[in-house]
Amino acid sequence: MENNIIDIKDLVKIYRLSDEVSVRALKGVSLTVRRGEFISIMGASGSGKSTFMNILGFLDTPTSGKYILDGIDGSSLSLNEKAEIRNKKIGFIFQGFNLLSRTSALENVELPLMYKGGVSPQQMRERAQKLLAMVGLAGREHHHPNKLSGGEQQRVAIARSLINEPAILLADEPTGNLDTKSSNEVMDIFTSLNREMGITIILVTHEPDIAEYSDRKVVFRDGLIIEDAPISKRKKAAVTGKSR
Amino acid sequence: MNVRNLFITAVRAIAKNKMRSSLTSVGIIIGVSSVIVMVGMGNSARVAVRDKITTFGTNAMSVFRPSRAFDGRDIENLRRIFHVKYISPLIYDTYIPVVFQNRNMLSRIYGVNNDYFQIKDMALQSGRYFSAEEVTALARVVIIGTTVWNEIFGNADPIGRTVLIKSVPFQVIGLLAEQGSAFSGRDFDNVLVMPYTTASTRIKNRKDFDELYIAAHNEGMVEETAEVVRQYFRRKHNLPPGAPDDFRVKTSIEQLKVAENISKTLTILLAGIALISLFVGGVGIMNIMLVSVSERTREIGIRMAIGAKRNDILLQFLIESVTLSSVGGAVGIALGMSIYYAIIYFLEWPFIMSFMSIIVSFLFSFAVGIFFGYYPARKAADLKPIDALRYE
Ligand SMILES: Nc1ncnc2c1ncn2[C@@H]1O[C@H](COP(=O)(O)OP(=O)(O)OP(=O)(O)O)[C@@H](O)[C@H]1O
Ligand SMILES: [Mg+2]
Repeated sequence: MENNIIDIKDLVKIYRLSDEVSVRALKGVSLTVRRGEFISIMGASGSGKSTFMNILGFLDTPTSGKYILDGIDGSSLSLNEKAEIRNKKIGFIFQGFNLLSRTSALENVELPLMYKGGVSPQQMRERAQKLLAMVGLAGREHHHPNKLSGGEQQRVAIARSLINEPAILLADEPTGNLDTKSSNEVMDIFTSLNREMGITIILVTHEPDIAEYSDRKVVFRDGLIIEDAPISKRKKAAVTGKSR
Repeated sequence: MNVRNLFITAVRAIAKNKMRSSLTSVGIIIGVSSVIVMVGMGNSARVAVRDKITTFGTNAMSVFRPSRAFDGRDIENLRRIFHVKYISPLIYDTYIPVVFQNRNMLSRIYGVNNDYFQIKDMALQSGRYFSAEEVTALARVVIIGTTVWNEIFGNADPIGRTVLIKSVPFQVIGLLAEQGSAFSGRDFDNVLVMPYTTASTRIKNRKDFDELYIAAHNEGMVEETAEVVRQYFRRKHNLPPGAPDDFRVKTSIEQLKVAENISKTLTILLAGIALISLFVGGVGIMNIMLVSVSERTREIGIRMAIGAKRNDILLQFLIESVTLSSVGGAVGIALGMSIYYAIIYFLEWPFIMSFMSIIVSFLFSFAVGIFFGYYPARKAADLKPIDALRYE
């Protein structure tokens, strides 16, 4: 297995708004991510962070540049292959949670398994229940998202992102809609996923406090990476204090 | 995703918008139920007509001639032909007053011989047919239909009673079984059947006959027999080859065909109208599915983000529209059968269960769901994940 889970070179994304107007959201970004790293991405609004994350998650395609995920060259993939990678290798966590609103927490968590197929309903149920318990939502399985708080919804989304045992989690401002307490709970979960299960995490945030949970900080400005440095005094106390 | 889960997803999506879903199905329901009603009515009409015509007897034919009528010699000559099994003259007259005690009514007389009952397959409820002597002796005997029985006998036993027909006393010797009425409303039970000899001398004062009724030995020989009869009259009337007949031979099979053609045309026409309403129903489904896809763009984006493939999304929406249309189809079938049954019940037509029309209209509503659901479903499946996710 390769040591680098992500290998990006000269990634460019240009949005064409019309024949004359186009936005260069990414102007040539290069980044390598080692397996098991926990990276936080920061930068001003409009600097291209979400654009970058969407390309990483195969939700969008770059205009040019090279993107290799876990040894797979993104440019050579069909739509179905991309869907399969989103399903099996990548877990998404969004700022707006993006849960199906009229579907119970349990079913939301099961959904990626359904698209994967080949798993019996009982197994699905068991795994989903286990994950919900892991994020502290045991007993809430049959609640619908609109009956849960923001923090709880985000934890459902985390459980959902984990159900296919992805190699990498992509979280675009996962705490952007949460209060401090919920944010910390969510970040504790991320930390333990990274430490104990070795899942690679890339997380976008505006808050330096949140970034301190990670090992490495990457800063975007105007579609370019302007800073890429390890975080020396990583926030460890909050996690090690709790046993998860 | 497997079909079972897709189906559950579809049913939930439909159940979320109960009102909208039922309104959408109304088009299909109306379309399918009208197909069922129309096809059913067509079938029943065909059978009803067949029943009416076969009271005439499938082996039978009638010969009539507008200008010059037939006489006793024709009967004698035709009876000698092998093909002719039964032959009866018909002397016919309408608006004939008939009186029993203080009751009276207008009826029709049929002057015939005993063969007539065989040809027309007419049974008696009570009493007897004519005897050979009664026919030759111009006996004043009559067999009455049930309407006459009801009206002037008040359903009392008529056998042996004397009625006055056009002021001539007749003895009632038989009562016909019920015949029913024609589509035209003509009541086949309002009849007075008497020997043709009696009818011609005592009622009509004419020696010739209005029509001849002939039966062939079996249904398969009807055409051939009709041709033999035709040739007989052409020779008798000295018609040169190529000249048109100056008489007409009407077989019941021929009439049956005409009736079947009419009802078939009617069925096709009505089914066409029903298909148009199914089409309109399909357009309704397409419309609502397009609304549904654009309302649920974000949901589609979420599903794509967690691994739904193009076909998963396509199937999800196709199954939804097919479920809408098939449930509409099933409801339409039930509704159509009820309406059909009700109509048939009041018309007293035979009820004919056509599994074919049920299966075909169900498959059709299924197909409508696929046909009109495909475009919206493809629209959903072809969304780019990121565009769908960002959709507000
Ligand atoms: N679909 C799009 N079409 C056109 N321009 C876009 C589109 N998406 C993003 N952009 C532009 O690309 C640039 C980068 O946007 P992006 O969403 O990546 O920023 P961001 O760093 O995530 O900002 P924020 O912190 O506000 O989320 C911005 O100028 C934005 O206006
Ligand atoms: Mg963003």
